[in-house]
Amino acid sequence: MTRDPRAFFALDLGAATTSAALLGRVPDRWRLLGSLSCSSEVPLVAVLARLVERFAAADPELALVLGAGPAAASWPRLTVHSVPPAGLAVVAVSERALGALADVAALTGWRVIAGSAERLDPLSMTKMLLDPDVSSVLVGAGEPPGADERGGLGDLAALAAAVAIRRPELPIILAGAMADQGPRFEARPAQGPGAVVLAPAAAAGVPPGTALRATLEGLRGLADDARRSFARATATLAEALDRRIEAIDIGIDGGVRVVASPRAGQEPAMTAAAVVADAALAPPDPDEEVVDGVVGWSTLPADRHRMRDRLRELRRLPWGDATGDGAPFRLSAARAALERLVAATPDLDALPPADMLVIAGGAWAVAPGPAIALAAADVIRRPGVTQIVFDHARLLAPLGTIEDHDERRVLLADLAGDLLAPLGTVVMPQGMRGGRNAGRLLVHGATGSSELDLVPGGIELVDLPPGESAVAEFEFRDQVRLGTRGKHFAVDVAGGLGGLIVDLRDIPLRLPDRAERRRELLAAWQEALWAGVSG
Amino acid sequence: MSATARGSRASSRAAAAEAEAIRPAPGIDLIPRRPLLQRQVDAWIALSPGDRPLVAAGDSVVPGTPLAEHLRDARLVEVAGSGGLRPGDRWRGEESDAARRRGHPPEGELLFESGGRWWVVAGEHSQPIDSPVSGIVREVRPGLGIGLRAGGAALEGALALGGLARGRLELATGADGELLPRALDVGAAGAILVVGARIDAESLTRARAMGVRGVIVATLASKDRRDHLASEGRQHAALHRLPSFAVLVLHGSIRRPISVPAMALLEALAGRDVAIIGKPPALVFDTEGLDLPPDAPDVVHVRSGPLAGQSGKWAGLAGLRRFPGATHLEAGFVRFGEGPPVAVPLADLERLT
Repeated sequence: MTRDPRAFFALDLGAATTSAALLGRVPDRWRLLGSLSCSSEVPLVAVLARLVERFAAADPELALVLGAGPAAASWPRLTVHSVPPAGLAVVAVSERALGALADVAALTGWRVIAGSAERLDPLSMTKMLLDPDVSSVLVGAGEPPGADERGGLGDLAALAAAVAIRRPELPIILAGAMADQGPRFEARPAQGPGAVVLAPAAAAGVPPGTALRATLEGLRGLADDARRSFARATATLAEALDRRIEAIDIGIDGGVRVVASPRAGQEPAMTAAAVVADAALAPPDPDEEVVDGVVGWSTLPADRHRMRDRLRELRRLPWGDATGDGAPFRLSAARAALERLVAATPDLDALPPADMLVIAGGAWAVAPGPAIALAAADVIRRPGVTQIVFDHARLLAPLGTIEDHDERRVLLADLAGDLLAPLGTVVMPQGMRGGRNAGRLLVHGATGSSELDLVPGGIELVDLPPGESAVAEFEFRDQVRLGTRGKHFAVDVAGGLGGLIVDLRDIPLRLPDRAERRRELLAAWQEALWAGVSG
Repeated sequence: MSATARGSRASSRAAAAEAEAIRPAPGIDLIPRRPLLQRQVDAWIALSPGDRPLVAAGDSVVPGTPLAEHLRDARLVEVAGSGGLRPGDRWRGEESDAARRRGHPPEGELLFESGGRWWVVAGEHSQPIDSPVSGIVREVRPGLGIGLRAGGAALEGALALGGLARGRLELATGADGELLPRALDVGAAGAILVVGARIDAESLTRARAMGVRGVIVATLASKDRRDHLASEGRQHAALHRLPSFAVLVLHGSIRRPISVPAMALLEALAGRDVAIIGKPPALVFDTEGLDLPPDAPDVVHVRSGPLAGQSGKWAGLAGLRRFPGATHLEAGFVRFGEGPPVAVPLADLERLT
């Protein structure tokens, strides 16, 4: 679609945020001409009109060349949608079997509600499955069923079949040995609303769980699902830049984590992704764990009840009340959501570390770039050197909808510099001993060199603007881990809005237990990268 | 047609003509619009397995019509199976002394069949669920709920707690007020009270004890919500029948006044019979004789942020502005009263139709 037109819109229509970007061919390559994000309640036509109007005001000549005017409304559009995750009730005979099923389901973008016959009586389980928030049911068992399951398979299937009669529109997924109970659901169609789907057991596939994940992801997907497109675009970006990329998207309704690496020698290209509804910026009914997570990252003195109130308000009006305390509160909620996303995806942690971390999603919409980089570094703690960039115009997902691989690759290669706002490079050594001085850093940049002492437990900032690069020479007193083990390192670093961030804090990050001291410390780190946030 | 109704329509037409004459400053289309009133109200009354519907699809109901019987002490009973039964069907057991001795209730609802035996949800204590509104029953799904198209219009809230309620609307405080427990007495029995910006759990408990049927409040903090639900849970665990009591929260969890247009509507409804429904969370009322002139096209309302609850006139886009908290947001100028225009983040604003 991008071969003929001179300009087009890329639209990411989320549950909370509408993001519109205007792209044009200038003169022989694609460039980002402007972008605008606002609440999803604003009519799209008004957003596009404003975007075009701004572009025309900023560059009237180019606007004339591209024909930006009333005709712009008919420019092609690449559109993705993200919708609130649907509820998937997962039931099994035993808690053991349930855990395996629920763990797989939690990575597929469904909002999982789980219960076993071991814990719930038939009435409670029936009520759970009849809940209007449940839009599909996964009834599973091991293959072959475990000794703790065999006696209860028939009763559980009978209960699910009875629910299926009451709710004929409800799709039922029978996994593992539960597929043998299919005849109980004979009245159900094989396709369409209310279909019965036979799925592999939780442990099936290599690695275990992949087979059931594929089935559940297939059942969830929209044709223009933003999360699926985001993963595809990340894989293409890794290929176009020839770098190992990790991409994180935190939205109001869930989080996405993608790790992609290009083909290298005999190693094939690889993409691994997970969509986690529990990693939502503001879950619909925040439980104690969610609230505690936000309190733990908060720089504001608010008790748990007050924090729950704020999370509920954030859910109700994701773009509202973003000034004053609202700005750092959002970033605390984003950190907590990112923490839940990382905790839910340990398999992705086990992959080789990425060269570049792409941050995306509405959770970061009101924070300045350097503060976003710090938030990412607070949570994603791996020794090494990582460039952090921000998909500020939310282009990745729409570009991922381009079906033609070559066309997608060309477009992403053209646009990489525009769509990825450089936030900075984070250098995170591990294994320093406490004390006043862990060594020295010498940064050789285009405009000169600077030197500073490395003090364990803190963050050192080196001004390195976007577009600039430098060589950072580290001399540690003791051996540390920074990719490899050693005392002396020279690494290439790229500049960004936050410059070079030398993160000398613990891995994993250890924060004071006392709430007041913890808030002070978090606020001090944040203030260094977000001037004026406290005032 | 009555003279009052004719007068109302004439004044609405005049207001609409006046609105037409005002051309707001550019950029107002970036402010979300939503209707203040929902003219079509589809209420959903949730049922649990064991509850017995008393109406059928297509039935007309009026306030007070029993819709269903809610089983208060639902428990499971295993009985011998027989052919031709389906989950959700009613089951009637033998009414013999032997059955009573076995602890079998006389009737219940079939849950599921396994191994030739049925599991039945049954109990001995039930209470009616009465319709709080007039309307038409659209669907009845045993164990799930009853869909009802209510007559009239609705003011939607953010959240409703408790059951269904109907009563005479009374204004207990102003839009920014707060009702203390000692201010509640039996004089408010049977009423649905408008209680201002916030209310605590203690006041809600006292309101229920004084016979108040419902409360409409701008915000309810999570702590008070939790305490109230716990109190309600304890009340319902007792096996005596309680009148229904509902809380409609209009705006959210963090304290703010009832918005100007919502308060104007509630003032217009004072003294009338109104109903609170839970799904969607809304206040349902009859619009007969209600004169609600539409907003002028340049009127905007602040729904969040430090100025929440206020209304003003749109004065144009302010562009990207720096706000407290070192945050840069798209903003617009709003003129409140006779004061100078104030920059407000666009996302904190809304328009009502």
